[in-house]
Amino acid sequence: MEAAPLATGAGPRRRAWELLLALPLAVVFAAFLLYPILTILLTSLKPGSGVLHSGGGGSSSHTIFSNYLELFRDPIYCEAMLHSLVLSASVALGATLLCLGPAWLFARYEFPGKRLMRAGFALPMSLSGILVGFLAVIMLGRVGFIPQMSQGLTGKAWLSGAAYQLSGLVIAYLYFEIPRGVVTLESALSKFDPRLDAAARSLGASRWQRFLWIVLPLIAPALVATFAVTFSVSLGSFGVALVLSKRFSVLPLELFHQVVAITNFPLASAMAVFLIALALALNFALGRWMRRHFSLRHA
Amino acid sequence: MRENLRRPGFLPLYAFTLVLWLIVMSPFAVVVLGAFLQTTFLGLSTEQWARGGDGESLFSVKWFGYVWGLYRGTLLFSVKLALLSVLLCLLIGVPGGMVLARRQFPGRDLLESIVLLPLSLPGIALSIGILQAFAIVRGEWWLILAGHLLYTLPFMVRMVMDALRSFDVAALETAARSLGAGYWQRLRWVVLPNLRHAMVAASLLVFCVSWGEFNISFLLNTPLNQTFPAALYATYTTNSFQVSSAATVIFLGVVVPALMAIQWLGGGRGVKLEQGV
Amino acid sequence: MKRFSVLSAVLACAATTFAQEKVVIQYDCIPNYANWGGVTAAYFKASGVRVPPDMKGSSAAMAALELEKANPQADTVYYNGGIGYQAAQKGLHEPYKPEGFEKIPDDLKDPEGTWFTVHTAHIAILVNTSALGGKPVPRSFADLLKPEYKGMVVYDDPTIHGTGFTFVYGINAILGGGSDFKAGFDYLKALDANILNYAKENSYNELLRGEIPIWINADGNGLKARHTDKAPVEVVIPKEGTVVLPMVMALVKGAPRPEEAKKYLDWLLGDEAQKVMAESYFRPIMKVDLGPGLSSQFLPDSAYAKVQALPLKEMAADADDFKARWTREIRAGR
Repeated sequence: MEAAPLATGAGPRRRAWELLLALPLAVVFAAFLLYPILTILLTSLKPGSGVLHSGGGGSSSHTIFSNYLELFRDPIYCEAMLHSLVLSASVALGATLLCLGPAWLFARYEFPGKRLMRAGFALPMSLSGILVGFLAVIMLGRVGFIPQMSQGLTGKAWLSGAAYQLSGLVIAYLYFEIPRGVVTLESALSKFDPRLDAAARSLGASRWQRFLWIVLPLIAPALVATFAVTFSVSLGSFGVALVLSKRFSVLPLELFHQVVAITNFPLASAMAVFLIALALALNFALGRWMRRHFSLRHA
Repeated sequence: MRENLRRPGFLPLYAFTLVLWLIVMSPFAVVVLGAFLQTTFLGLSTEQWARGGDGESLFSVKWFGYVWGLYRGTLLFSVKLALLSVLLCLLIGVPGGMVLARRQFPGRDLLESIVLLPLSLPGIALSIGILQAFAIVRGEWWLILAGHLLYTLPFMVRMVMDALRSFDVAALETAARSLGAGYWQRLRWVVLPNLRHAMVAASLLVFCVSWGEFNISFLLNTPLNQTFPAALYATYTTNSFQVSSAATVIFLGVVVPALMAIQWLGGGRGVKLEQGV
Repeated sequence: MKRFSVLSAVLACAATTFAQEKVVIQYDCIPNYANWGGVTAAYFKASGVRVPPDMKGSSAAMAALELEKANPQADTVYYNGGIGYQAAQKGLHEPYKPEGFEKIPDDLKDPEGTWFTVHTAHIAILVNTSALGGKPVPRSFADLLKPEYKGMVVYDDPTIHGTGFTFVYGINAILGGGSDFKAGFDYLKALDANILNYAKENSYNELLRGEIPIWINADGNGLKARHTDKAPVEVVIPKEGTVVLPMVMALVKGAPRPEEAKKYLDWLLGDEAQKVMAESYFRPIMKVDLGPGLSSQFLPDSAYAKVQALPLKEMAADADDFKARWTREIRAGR
């Protein structure tokens, strides 16, 4: 990506057979990534099926895009899509801002216990949404740890049942996005050259001026990358909503439901295609945006 | 630490990070506590266990036995998956990463972006893709392994590439070649030793990712081939809090040492974990 | 490279320890539902065959069987009566009459053996009294609509779980509604205001902990929570009456291990298994001697004065439309 492949490794005589070493890699991704994506693309064009499919119309009413039409017409799915977008965007924004603190700390300072702290932040990354949803119930459920403790201490059960509210959903999403954000931001921030900041200070710039004009533009790409990462991951997560929500649905949850309970694979495939397209489009757009701004600045 | 204290901005940052860290760790603390104590703050179990009155001490490890009895199969299956993921990532990802980093060929950029692609795609979407593309072999354990590879190979490939692209390996190789070292000699004595660090760190990371993987496995699981995170979830919903806590402790007992090891190897710094499970 | 060989050796060892033990796969085998954990443990003791836990609900189990028609994974399956009937009609089952089949009442089995009841329960209101916060224990379905129970009531998502499906289907009959199900849906809409969530996963643990104060589920699960797990759970048969929840099983068509599956189904209708099921407070379909201690822990017969049996055939025929309607009108709130 950033660096050109090393010409040195290739040697004077090009060894064509060396390329074969990458063949297993290519085969694995062709078989288990590209072929499945192709399969859902094709399946999404088939007529809907499954136990709840009341379309009832046989093939006459079916056009190849009817699953997509259903996806965009059905108020339940539209709402779920909207929820997915809004929730993912707000969680990504929140995570990016919150993570700036720890990432800055880890990138700039050495202190005892730093490794323990960083390992701790990495921990929720190995948990899935469903497990995080359970942890949210343990902490913020009707009889969660925090309400119980506060009842014992103050006589009032604070935050009882918060896990089931929208706020609980946001907290749970943030919970597994913060670690990702910290890691992504940290690796970018550690490349930031503090001498620039020092130079600006010697020129008499105030702390806010320095942050606004020196630091922010330099770390903007990192912030955007963090936003993209946390957004993509939130977009694909359904476990939290599966455990916590009564009615608030997100698109991956509808997809899960289509597969597990209704077996309407064509519609589920259309949803999957939509999610994949959205994630790709976002990554592509942000990548372009970043490249443009990067090159402008370097010019 | 002392010089940090004098720098402006350190203390507020540290305090903020510490609070955030404590929030992130608190559910684990509560759950781990629940695994060892007969009484718990949670729910009504205090009362419930007191009333049960089976005269046991406050501290108990009997729940671990229960988890082992009921979910042993899933535990072993997950260990097997994680170890195989590491092995296959080394066998496939290291040579692949080497070629991607050292050679230019048509489709190289495409292959690189495809390999890194799964990290930014929603797991459930890929999962139903695999489910349908390989419907005929559904339930085979290697299908779950293939799903895990999609999410672990990118880490291995990326870390190998990053290590190879770092300045020193390139310079060393040039030097070795100027001294007359042939291809295999350079590979054996220059490239691989310098990759060792990245390979160890990446292997640990691959192990962690595979061990905790849930999104892909959840739909591909069958009762016979079930991963431990799925069993963990089953204990959360149907077993008592003590049992689920014991299962969580087992889960953490594997993943925490591996994560700590990655930190101690310094893997977390040069390594871009970026998108995770 | 030495490391590679060490690793491969470790892996080889690991692989050999996975000596295949005999198994039977049962879809919908939730350890704390009808005490399947206990039943399967008893079977392992009796036969050395393992029946691993499976967390699918009735509807999800049927969906999985349909999906795997070409390549079946499961040997046996367990559902509520309506869904089991429907799955049999879809041709997902292989007829099999286990030992003791003839003793099952005629309305609780298919004459060909494509499904048969193993035990029954009733829809009941399970109340964790400690979690009510001083509010009175609800005694009827009408009580559940009172605003004081806001955010306290849970029932299972009927598109996933058979017990939830039996409740939402049966409530219409319990309230004396007609064939348009209006009375039932009106009630469910009103109940929605008090619902904490429509559980997509098993909620037994949350009832125990008091996370869920009121769970509409099978009476047997509540009795197990009360007597076996010593939770402060009261099992209320609502004043309006309730419906029977026949739980049926079948041999899966094209089961990969048919012989083991048949032995297992035979065993399930035998005295030992039926007794273990009774110990989990589901009513065994066979007559087994429960002993005075255990029978006294069941609710008295008088509690079940107003019990109805749902017509399984109609229930199966209506199931798909009914679930779709529930999704629109209740879950989506339209």
